[in-house]
Amino acid sequence: MGGRDTDIVLLDENGIRSDGRKVNETRKVSIKAGVLKNANGSAYIEFGENKILVGVYGPRDVHPKHMSDTDTGILRCRYHMSPFSVGERKNPAPSRREVEISKVIKEALEPALMLKQFPRTAVDVFMEILQADGGTRCAALTGASVALADAGIPMRDLVAGCAAGKAADAIILDVNNEEDQAGQADLPIGYMPNLEKITLLQLDGILTPDEYKQCIELGIDGCKQVYEIQKKALQEKYFTNGGTD
Amino acid sequence: MASSSIIDQLKKNQILDMLKDEKRIDGRAFDEVRELSIDVGVIPKAEGSARARLGDTEVVAGVKIQPERPFPDTGDQGMLICTAEILPIAHPDVETGPPSPPVVELARVTDRGIRESKMIDMKQLVLEKNKSVVGIFCDNAVTDHDGNLFDACSYATTAALNSCKIPKYEMKDEVPTKVENEFDDPPITTLPVSVTMAKIDDYIIVDPNLDEWSIMDARITITTNSDGNIVALQKGGADGFTHDDLIKCGEISAKVGLKIREIIKESSSGGN
Amino acid sequence: MSNEKKRHVIPGEVIVSGQYRAEQNTVLDGDKVLATVIGLSDVHDGSVRVIPLTGGYYPKDDDLVVGKIVSHSAMSWEVNINSCYAGMLPATDVFGRDFSSHSDDLSAKLSNGDLIVARIVNADKTRDPLLTISGRELGKIDSGELVEFSPSKVPRLIGKRGSMIQMIEGATGAQIIIGQNGMLVVSCDDPNGLLKAIKAIELVEEKAHVANLTDQVNEMLELKSE
Repeated sequence: MGGRDTDIVLLDENGIRSDGRKVNETRKVSIKAGVLKNANGSAYIEFGENKILVGVYGPRDVHPKHMSDTDTGILRCRYHMSPFSVGERKNPAPSRREVEISKVIKEALEPALMLKQFPRTAVDVFMEILQADGGTRCAALTGASVALADAGIPMRDLVAGCAAGKAADAIILDVNNEEDQAGQADLPIGYMPNLEKITLLQLDGILTPDEYKQCIELGIDGCKQVYEIQKKALQEKYFTNGGTD
Repeated sequence: MASSSIIDQLKKNQILDMLKDEKRIDGRAFDEVRELSIDVGVIPKAEGSARARLGDTEVVAGVKIQPERPFPDTGDQGMLICTAEILPIAHPDVETGPPSPPVVELARVTDRGIRESKMIDMKQLVLEKNKSVVGIFCDNAVTDHDGNLFDACSYATTAALNSCKIPKYEMKDEVPTKVENEFDDPPITTLPVSVTMAKIDDYIIVDPNLDEWSIMDARITITTNSDGNIVALQKGGADGFTHDDLIKCGEISAKVGLKIREIIKESSSGGN
Repeated sequence: MSNEKKRHVIPGEVIVSGQYRAEQNTVLDGDKVLATVIGLSDVHDGSVRVIPLTGGYYPKDDDLVVGKIVSHSAMSWEVNINSCYAGMLPATDVFGRDFSSHSDDLSAKLSNGDLIVARIVNADKTRDPLLTISGRELGKIDSGELVEFSPSKVPRLIGKRGSMIQMIEGATGAQIIIGQNGMLVVSCDDPNGLLKAIKAIELVEEKAHVANLTDQVNEMLELKSE
């Protein structure tokens, strides 16, 4: 966790956070499905100040061939931050952090995808973080689910992402960048709302067993709110009568 | 060669037949550029940014500015580096991993167009001579590929740099420190604009889309600055241009560049 | 068991609960039937399926497809059929059983970029689907314009007993080859007819999910005539 930043008031005496939110409020989330011309499925998501573009290709041929599985399609994920997405310019080459997050998101999506019907193929999910402000992996996961549905990849459920955490001794929902740097814990969660399963879970920081329970409960609630936005994005693209994309 | 990029024979014949009638497959004139729209400030947390849409090609450019040590032989100048990357979301044939030669070429041509034009007066970006200078990075990310990435990256970069804000720095104990909420406009001397032309049989067409790009015999990218002078040239493709072709291309690039420059000015001057 | 009204569904949504057969694009979760793709749910005679509004083409036996030659080996051509599986057209299908890789040159008959109308002969997923172009109305396509279309919306373009596509062909004078894989070839002697037909196809693509699509297409075809 980052050092304390005594200039920022994480939680004031009225229970209001540094960006004006209450402890159990998520940032503003908006999602648009089908924003890219070439990708089979795509989504653009703004989660607070996070701006993320996701593109999906597949199922498609696997190269090199030895990576393909004769029994099932495989899922490949790439979480990548643009050099201009963070405070200090980031080298375009993938960092170890990006490699780990790519894997964690892949394992959050796999339980939802039904790829056994596409042996010897791959579904590729590319998440590009254009602007980062804390909670990018949850936002990227959320956008990826919408892009996968947009591509028509069969899924048991969508996966929604939202983090819970602890700052200024309070349990908070949807940790932003300042709270991540100066707070006490950050717990990103990925959740399948209809099957009621958690498929992404990590922790940065320290929580008592009771705080851990509170975070999970609050985080799941946040995921359910995010799910409503995912639904809305897909309905807007596919079910509006006579509307254009 | 991935199968999605092999153009089908019917379309190829259609393009060639239409060229004989002075027509293009999307209805444009030979010297007509696709619809260009540029939005600046799309990445508010960066020091500058622009999204350029050239037809269905889309590029996002982000500018990051931070203090850097100068290059050893230019201690009296700031640092400017432009890059370009084709994101795997942009086209099914894009592979992840280290940049392929076409991507390296794209990045270097984009960088040269800005650098050689002397768009930014680097001498004004020194904090302490030979020790600390302002470093400007402009990174292009191609998000959708429908041909002519050279021009899309050029326009996004020029617009992003033209509208960026340079933080004020003061030297405190030999260390450059940002002064909060104080910014300067960048020292812009000119607006470089690239124009890419493809040669198909004997025809020269401006701003090829992906279909035209995949059957062209050769291409040339010519970058001009606000004075109409040529600041960068790059020829590509397997075939060659005649002497007359090159003169013609030079004239086209100045004429078309003029129009594009106006679009860039209009979209990015609000930020200045 | 009732026949339910068609509903818009997204992946993970419960369509019905109870003793139902889960068919295309659905999955059972206990006694609940869930949708697995975005589309319209269809509950009928105790079985549940979802008609998808998006998604790619998955080869099925006997499907008519339009494909593009992308490479060849000594014995066959590889054909892009707009699917995650590449089609395989054996040389014997074109040269006959006496085919000899020494004397018969594959690229002389079909080269990269050529378009063909073919039928899927064997779509077993353990290997690439087999194609044939020997048959009536199959073979190399020499003229026309290739139009890309969503495979999931092809049934809408064809219409009940071919009503939609016949309406478009009749009003424009165009001939339209419809590949189940979403690749269409449109030909017309009259360039205006060609344009009109393509615009009608684009309208179906855009509004496939809308109830009065047939009326809208009808209106568009009539408005466009000079």
